Amino acid sequence: MVESKDLKGLAKVERYYNDYGVRTKELKANGKKIIGYVSALGPVEVLTAAGVVPFRLKGNVDEAITKGDAYMETIVCPFVRNVFDAAIKGRFDFMDGMVLPHLCDSLDRTSDVWRDYLNLPYFHFFNVPHVTDEPSIEFMKEILKLLISTLEDYTGNKITIDSLRQAILLHNENRRLMRSLYDLRKNNPPLISGTEMMKVLVAIMGIPVEESNELIKEIIEEVRSRKPSLDRQKKRIMLIGDQIDSVAITEAIEGSGAYLVMDDISIGSKMYYQDVDEEKEPILALAERYLRKLKIPTTFVDTGGTYQENLNARFGHMRKYIEEFDVDGVILLVYKYCDPYGFEVPAIKSYIEEIGVPVLYLEDEYSTSSLARMKTRIEAFLEMIA
Amino acid sequence: MAEEKKGRALATKAAANIPKFVRGNLAATIKAKQEGKKVAYAYIADGQDEIMRAMDIVPAWGESFAGVCAAKRDAEKYLQKAESDNFSRSLCTYATCTIGFDMIREEMGVDVVPDAPWGGMARPDMILGSAQLLCDPRFKWPQATQHYLRDVPVFVGAMYYPPFDPKLNHHDQEKFYVKYCTEELRECVRFCEKHTGKKMDWDRLAEIVELSDKTWDIFIDAYELRKAIPTPMDTGDAMNTMVPLTFNLGTQEAYDFYKELYDELKEKIKKGEGVASPEKYRLIWAGGLPSWFALGDFQYFNSKGATFPVEVTYRGCEKIERLELPKTNDPLEHIAWRWVRYWTHWYDKARKRPGSLPKVERIIEYIEDYKCDGVVFHSAFSCRSWHAGIIHQAETLKKVYREIPILILEGDIVDISSYNEADTHNRIDAFIEAVDAYKQRMRR
Repeated sequence: MVESKDLKGLAKVERYYNDYGVRTKELKANGKKIIGYVSALGPVEVLTAAGVVPFRLKGNVDEAITKGDAYMETIVCPFVRNVFDAAIKGRFDFMDGMVLPHLCDSLDRTSDVWRDYLNLPYFHFFNVPHVTDEPSIEFMKEILKLLISTLEDYTGNKITIDSLRQAILLHNENRRLMRSLYDLRKNNPPLISGTEMMKVLVAIMGIPVEESNELIKEIIEEVRSRKPSLDRQKKRIMLIGDQIDSVAITEAIEGSGAYLVMDDISIGSKMYYQDVDEEKEPILALAERYLRKLKIPTTFVDTGGTYQENLNARFGHMRKYIEEFDVDGVILLVYKYCDPYGFEVPAIKSYIEEIGVPVLYLEDEYSTSSLARMKTRIEAFLEMIA
Repeated sequence: MAEEKKGRALATKAAANIPKFVRGNLAATIKAKQEGKKVAYAYIADGQDEIMRAMDIVPAWGESFAGVCAAKRDAEKYLQKAESDNFSRSLCTYATCTIGFDMIREEMGVDVVPDAPWGGMARPDMILGSAQLLCDPRFKWPQATQHYLRDVPVFVGAMYYPPFDPKLNHHDQEKFYVKYCTEELRECVRFCEKHTGKKMDWDRLAEIVELSDKTWDIFIDAYELRKAIPTPMDTGDAMNTMVPLTFNLGTQEAYDFYKELYDELKEKIKKGEGVASPEKYRLIWAGGLPSWFALGDFQYFNSKGATFPVEVTYRGCEKIERLELPKTNDPLEHIAWRWVRYWTHWYDKARKRPGSLPKVERIIEYIEDYKCDGVVFHSAFSCRSWHAGIIHQAETLKKVYREIPILILEGDIVDISSYNEADTHNRIDAFIEAVDAYKQRMRR
């Protein structure tokens, strides 16, 4: 078998996707500390500045929950349950610690479960607020400082303003590169498929940012050199949802005869379309990025203006993507028991449909057990918009 | 009209008066609109009660209205209405019930919705939500409601407290949490001033906050009388008597209610009157909101000689002196300290018992103080806020305390579709047998 280090571009992505965590294990064997995190609120810049490898946790949609249900109620978000199930089965035994951000009730209410049963040497609940006003920015700065102090205590590494700045530069570079890769989906047909893109998104969330940057450069070069296919007739789809991290759904969409050209998902564009301000004091800049720039349903946004202005502030980026990526239809996939996304469904749906773009709303589990049913609905949707 | 189940028989006169409170609160919203007063959609445990009372804003409590709909088994039409616009049945049913109600009122274009349980709620002039560690719907529900009430302004403040971490000293964090809560309450005042056109009367607010403190104290004084054997009041009643504390905090009526409850319980103790006769088993309702459509289940427990002298649910206060609140002349800062300490004052205890949790320490404290023989939780499928983490609490309790019998009931707060009375009663029967065996073991 060819070693990971001898692979390049999409071939390396394939390896990292199919054996998620393979590179992280190598780094661990070389003495690196691995800190896991969940969701787009994972403070990757701080982790990088601490000298640890940020490793985003994912579950496995093909695997049934067999152990996790003994610890966690079935009313908890199916993604959270699946990831915890993987963790308790030892899939992430190479992790030294975890930062669990305060994203939603499913994470907040189970934070004790993660801490007490995984029993990792380092664990921190990162209490990100849901509100974005000035007092919230000040509060966010405090909890960032608290996170920093706990990481310093654990690693023995001082996190300085300079190391934070350096980490911000690296992660902003990562975001810029990813946006360049996303741009290659604007072609008709796109130069990189939705399934390939999903594999890239997963592959790079488990490796250090420096390696990620090099890998993305290779992928961009590889993809740019492709000759575009001549099939321009397929409908162009955007996928909206939260923790979607498997090719099961992308294959269902593309296998039904569409191009998946854009996403607004937690491991996707949400991670890469908002930079940290490099000119500002780093902790303030991080507070603003995670609280005000990041577009996630667990952040309450209100402009103080009209409802339409609020909608534009919350979902305007979706309309922008639809225009820029020439999207014909949107699939909104929300997991059962997800209050933050679930309460947004009517607003997102009507906001997008108002501009003449149809939306297919699917509620599902984080599992392929219902994939056949979902595929039938996707096929019907594509027929409808054909 | 949906089938209305016969209500639960109440042990106390005070609890029997609660429907008047609840009806009064709902009617007050309708009356307020007629009188030109401002009405706000409000959500419990948001810390904003006293601000609303001091500014003469009449709260319309979504959880209360949804609870009434559930208790009258008349929520389905609202749940279905919300579902028709793609709100999942797995979302908080308090929220989807009231959103469905709002959708119907907007479609009808009326102020008072015909056939709404107990007259329904008035259309609000503003919505006051809160983001916090307690519950996502507290900020998503207002936002989702605004989708149907587009002209109604929404405020969402933040009321956080330091999360428990056995390795971190929460005392170091309390100060910046309190500062944040205080500033957010100030933002709430600004919002209310803007939308009422009135200035806050700070002296009046201070008086109301003082009255709330007294209400917290008398509430605990009254509830601690339930330590008596036999207990003069159990959780079945407490699911009613929580109303003034939860929905009327900062009013004289709330204080007076608990004073009367205190006197009534004293009298019952003097006469030796208990909820169950004989009282064979004492249980704690250790967590979870009840199925409002099945409150009669408490009576089923009582029929087996089991009573609940104590519950965690809706005991949203503590004796003020036990919280050791720092002195401040700022009523908002006082509210913030009271809020933060309410949550953190079990932390030191939890830290002293390795492997424990503040929530579990609270349960242990109540088990000991109220001499309980068993523990009951309720897990509602539509509410992650209260009900995720119950398994861990139960396991931790057994691990750090003792092998006390534990029952986790399953159902929902509003949605009756998940409820099976026969199955629930069978599970209660089996649990009572386990409690009986446990008591016998403990006697040996």
